[in-house]
Amino acid sequence: MSAVDWYLALAVGLFSIGAFGVLARRNVILVIMSLELMLNAVNIALVAFSNFIPAAAGRGELFVLFVVTIAAAEVTVGLAIVIANYRTHRTIQADRFDEMKG
Amino acid sequence: MPQGDFHPVAFAIVAAWVLVCGIGVVAFRSIVRSAVSMVFCFLGVAAVYALLHAPLLAVIQVLLYVGAISVVILFAIMLTESQKGEYRLFFNTQSLFALPLAVATALLATVVLVSAKLNGVTTVAQNPSIGEIAHLLFNQYVFPFELVSLVLLAAMIGAIVLSRKEDRL
Repeated sequence: MSAVDWYLALAVGLFSIGAFGVLARRNVILVIMSLELMLNAVNIALVAFSNFIPAAAGRGELFVLFVVTIAAAEVTVGLAIVIANYRTHRTIQADRFDEMKG
Repeated sequence: MPQGDFHPVAFAIVAAWVLVCGIGVVAFRSIVRSAVSMVFCFLGVAAVYALLHAPLLAVIQVLLYVGAISVVILFAIMLTESQKGEYRLFFNTQSLFALPLAVATALLATVVLVSAKLNGVTTVAQNPSIGEIAHLLFNQYVFPFELVSLVLLAAMIGAIVLSRKEDRL
């Protein structure tokens, strides 16, 4: 395994942990936190490519800058939705959001 | 023994740190502990960026994730925390499927990664200096840069509209 493979393996591990959190936890805030873990994993992979592939040098870092900005926007709006929902339903458990269940 | 610009010992320590803190995020029963674990995980990711010769991103990671996003998440926890009794049921009913699915994702990605032949991979660090990144950002990528500022503005307005009280609209 070369250097980039090790970093990609780390990214895969972190991404899977985040995916498990998104799928398995009931607390919506924790789901958002796990989502952040997944985004961080992807960022690690992008920076690893940027660092070890000459054709991608620098561009991976730029992509990470954009991803981080979008992630900040996503967290803000996501948590605003969670809090708005908490006001009306008094719960942040994902399986309680079942109003549209047929 | 360093191989090119790769330091196995430093990488092993940082990777173990990131993964253990990541597992802490999904495994802790109390959400505040998960949040603190997440902060440490983000710090570990900043260390990964430092190892990857991306000091700009390491600083941005600390400022944005460790500083801003963590505080926003802790505020959301503070504003919503309730129903202490429900901690007992902190996994939902899908968690039986979620664990095999996450492990399968990891295995599949690892198999693809090991079998893939990436072209032009080196072991010498290629990340440019901050000046060159700025040059790229404000010449070739200036349009996405402006677009992302619009996205931030929209998110700001959206968050304000969503979180204020209905009767004051």
